[in-house]
Amino acid sequence: MQIHKYDTVIVGAGGAGMRAAIEATKRSRTAVLTKLYPTRSHTGAAQGGMAAALANVEEDNWEWHTFDTIKGGDYLVDQDAAEILAKEAIDAVLDLEKMGLPFNRTPEGRIDQRRFGGHTRNHGEAAVRRSCYAADRTGHMILQTLYQNCVKEGVEFFNEFYVLDLLLAEVDGVKRTAGVVAYELATGEIHVFQAKAVIFASGGNGKFYKVTSNAHTLTGDGQAAAWRRGLPLEDMEFFQFHPTGIWRMGILLTEGARGEGGILRNKDGERFMERYAPVMKDLASRDVVSRAIYTEIREGRGCGPEGDHVYLDLTHLPPEQLDAKLPDITEFARTYLGIEPYTDPVPIQPTAHYAMGGIPTNVQGEVLTDNTTVVPGLYAAGEVACVSVHGANRLGTNSLLDINVFGRRSGIAAAEYAATHDFVELPENPDSLVVELVERMRDANGGERVTDIRKALQETMDANAMVFRTEQTLKQAVSDIAALKVRYKSISVQDKGKRYNTDLLEAVELGNLLDLAEVLAVSALARKESRGGHYREDYPTRDDVNFMRHTMAYREVGEDGEESIRLDYKPVVQTRYQPMERKY
Amino acid sequence: MSTTTVESKHSAALDAAETGDAHLITVTLRVRRFNPEVSDQVVWVDYEMQMDPKERVLDALHKIKWELDGTLTFRRSCAHGICGSDAMRINGRNRLACKTLLKDINPEKPITVEPIKGLTVLKDLVVDMEPFFQAFRDVMPFLVTKGNEPTRERLQSAEDRARFDDTTKCILCAACTSSCPVFWNDGQYFGPAAIVNAHRFIFDSRDEAGEQRLEILNDRDGVWRCRTTFNCTDACPRGIEVTKAIQEVKRALLTRRF
Amino acid sequence: MSAETHNPVDAADAADGGVTPFGPDNPAPFIEPPRARTKRTPRATRTNFEMYGWLFMRLSGIVLVVLVLGHLLIQLVLDGGVSKIGFAFVAGRWANPFWQLWDLAMLWLAMLHGANGLRTVINDYAERDVTRTWLKWLLYAATVFTVLLGTLVIFTFDPNIQ
Ligand SMILES: Cc1cc2nc3c(=O)[nH]c(=O)nc-3n(C[C@H](O)[C@H](O)[C@H](O)COP(=O)(O)OP(=O)(O)OC[C@H]3O[C@@H](n4cnc5c(N)ncnc54)[C@H](O)[C@@H]3O)c2cc1C
Ligand code: HEM
Ligand code: SF4
Ligand code: FES
Repeated sequence: MQIHKYDTVIVGAGGAGMRAAIEATKRSRTAVLTKLYPTRSHTGAAQGGMAAALANVEEDNWEWHTFDTIKGGDYLVDQDAAEILAKEAIDAVLDLEKMGLPFNRTPEGRIDQRRFGGHTRNHGEAAVRRSCYAADRTGHMILQTLYQNCVKEGVEFFNEFYVLDLLLAEVDGVKRTAGVVAYELATGEIHVFQAKAVIFASGGNGKFYKVTSNAHTLTGDGQAAAWRRGLPLEDMEFFQFHPTGIWRMGILLTEGARGEGGILRNKDGERFMERYAPVMKDLASRDVVSRAIYTEIREGRGCGPEGDHVYLDLTHLPPEQLDAKLPDITEFARTYLGIEPYTDPVPIQPTAHYAMGGIPTNVQGEVLTDNTTVVPGLYAAGEVACVSVHGANRLGTNSLLDINVFGRRSGIAAAEYAATHDFVELPENPDSLVVELVERMRDANGGERVTDIRKALQETMDANAMVFRTEQTLKQAVSDIAALKVRYKSISVQDKGKRYNTDLLEAVELGNLLDLAEVLAVSALARKESRGGHYREDYPTRDDVNFMRHTMAYREVGEDGEESIRLDYKPVVQTRYQPMERKY
Repeated sequence: MSTTTVESKHSAALDAAETGDAHLITVTLRVRRFNPEVSDQVVWVDYEMQMDPKERVLDALHKIKWELDGTLTFRRSCAHGICGSDAMRINGRNRLACKTLLKDINPEKPITVEPIKGLTVLKDLVVDMEPFFQAFRDVMPFLVTKGNEPTRERLQSAEDRARFDDTTKCILCAACTSSCPVFWNDGQYFGPAAIVNAHRFIFDSRDEAGEQRLEILNDRDGVWRCRTTFNCTDACPRGIEVTKAIQEVKRALLTRRF
Repeated sequence: MSAETHNPVDAADAADGGVTPFGPDNPAPFIEPPRARTKRTPRATRTNFEMYGWLFMRLSGIVLVVLVLGHLLIQLVLDGGVSKIGFAFVAGRWANPFWQLWDLAMLWLAMLHGANGLRTVINDYAERDVTRTWLKWLLYAATVFTVLLGTLVIFTFDPNIQ
């Protein structure tokens, strides 16, 4: 075991982690631990853009953006946080431009903007051009630009270090942050990082779905580490399904495709969104479009021999426009489907995309241990966190915004905390949990294969906890997951080595996915209403009387060591917007 | 309510894409394996499996790892050519495993898979990327400006933006650098990827450190070592015209002097 | 863990099928490529030597096309071809300062061009620093020797030597 001492430790080097690192490095001695090389993070896969009411191409203001965010989140958004998000968006985009991000430009040389789902002028009148973009590579450019600036600032990275545990220590009856424990992939060594402040920025957890736009490495390690240490998870039932994933593969085709004029069609060639969202049509919010697609498929209007997908039609757009604005996604269609989007419609289906829920934080990024109490020194930002600015459904382009606004905020807050506080003493044997975990995995010689359990998990999640849910399907998911957790106890890990033992880590990651899937299913079962990304066929309407509140899930360990999930709720912060019916 | 309907067009390619599980074929992956915890020798191992030819080489590697031999080690993340984790030498050519479909590389014959060349092999297909990133860091890959920051964005015309568009696409996968024969024998050469990333800033109208970057690349291990073999351009999974970018840097160096 | 605790599974997997001396705690050396870049790799030298070298290869190449082709034409094609070449022929030509300069330029350019080309080849192919240094010194010595000797011959050539 090696012990390192840093003021601030950041877990994750995606957009949120690196944005935080740029701030924290200027103010404190900072280390960034990341399981991937920073530029491999999944922020790089984001395509469409980043919202900010710059008003570069048409009238816009941050108040409209706030409203759209709240409405898009089906009023489960904390409105004070949404206001901060929309207000700071403008500087967040300008900061990135100053760091060098190559945005597409207007003829006047300003940052160009385009339409995106759910973003409207004057509270829903019509679509507004609010998304700042760089072709369909906005996330790639953000990730590269932030990494470039980390190189410039001399940020210290520990690449291919897997953080597996969070260290909390009780001081005077208060749980405080002591550090994290990481596993070094290259050597199999275990490192303890003692830190005054820790920021989790470890990204999403979509890999428990089969058809997903998420990377193989998005396994919710941060959420799971916090969960195991008794911290709550907020709103985990809200998972976003993006309408346009490549059929069966789940690879994302950005909403920007529809922003540029792309149209969804069923097997009759009908522009079916006109029936579901007369004003915004194909640019209605994502949950609405995803449900519409599945309704078409269920009612027999799906395309293909099995009628299990619909088309994204770009054929009426000029090839020059596709080349200039959507080069990457047209290439995906060519590479993976072998079709030419200039002339052929692209087969698509909804794909699991984004976790609205996560580790609860306040607007400074401070992690909450219940509805109000913060854990001193612990922060979270990005997809791993739930501020909550996305509520029940995130608007497209609001996540790249979220990682920049709240990444920056938590970076500053953590470094300032570190400057004014002392190290908390490490608990005895700080690495014991990780040592035990790694040893158990290395020695695992049971009869179950990791891949079988993962596949079964993904299948039950796709079948039972996706776009449409009912009491029955969710109960099925809960019991399937429980059975899989039992099987997981007798897995085998073939690679017994120390160097680059990815076999072992995949087993660990599966454990995280199982924990988080269970929280999702249990939270979803209890939410007997439909709101945003969570749609219950048995409760098809929103129920503001009983469920205008955030779910807070807690891990309980009984005296017999039996684990269970306890659900509690947290009020939604409402400032100026009263819940209305959500129509597009 | 009436909605707009169009006649659906159906090409043969679309029909082919839409037919569900095609017939499976037998594919052999011949993987160059090295595990320092087992042996100091490299071994080639053949793995035979049933695959859909529309699947990726990465899917085949996963099938091996998940079903046949869990010790096979490689990097990967996004699985669609955007993160740059899985550059490897497939049938003697550098490619991303996640962007290479089996049907496109003649699956009737054994498909060879090796780690990229010119970097230390740590285990199986995993190489030490540090020297590669060191070269990247050494070319000042960040925007440098002087004077006061403007309150709004810096203006840049669409033409100026287009000037360096090609080289902004780089995902640092190292396919180019590790396909370069000069780099194979001398890892101190900056290599195509670092030059591409310098190019991205040298030709950015907002940047003011082009001179310094040119000076760095004027070095012994800089652009003059390029022998225009075009391996890098062929290897780049992002379709960047790498050799052209290197030539543009050379030209900038020459015109700076003359 | 001590070095003795070999893992039976790994050992059975070993390349030669038998037990190897390597294990998780005493791994075999990695397969390293030549001359990796590190934090200590020297930074910019701030000279234009490589640029001029590169430019020289191209410019001298162009001049050499004329010189060498002209040379070959005169030596091998015109005036009855190879058969005419003899002491007298060389003596006759070098009596004219034009041909002296022609051959001098050809000698210097070809030698410097060739030497610089070989320097590149050495940089590209020699892996170890010592090998590189030795090969280059050998090359420079040979070049200087040949160039000087050639120059001497061109200018001190005596047509009446017996
Ligand atoms: C295909 C796709 C397209 C998208 N398009 C858009 C868009 O157009 N607009 C928009 O606003 N949003 C978009 N999103 C959403 C947005 O990109 C993500 O939510 C956001 O990038 C998440 O950033 P992050 O920094 O939180 O996490 P990530 O970028 O995923 O980074 C996670 C980091 O954590 C590290 N990490 C993870 N686990 C560990 C561990 N155990 N130990 C150490 N390190 C760890 C990883 O190495 C990585 O560096 C898209 C998402 C996807 C998948
Ligand atoms: C006919 C006229 C010639 C032309 C146009 C020419 C041109 C060139 C050029 C442009 C290069 C650089 C290649 C690169 O950088 O990749 C080169 C390399 C070289 N030349 Fe010449 N050259 C000529 C004659 C010669 C002669 C007469 C010699 C021998 C004395 C010679 C020996 C070399 C060597 C050894 C190299 C390096 C090999 C390599 O780069 O792979 N050349 N030549
Ligand atoms: S230039 Fe192309 S091949 Fe080279 S590192 Fe960048 S993306 Fe990879
Ligand atoms: S896995 Fe990301 S590029 Fe291949």
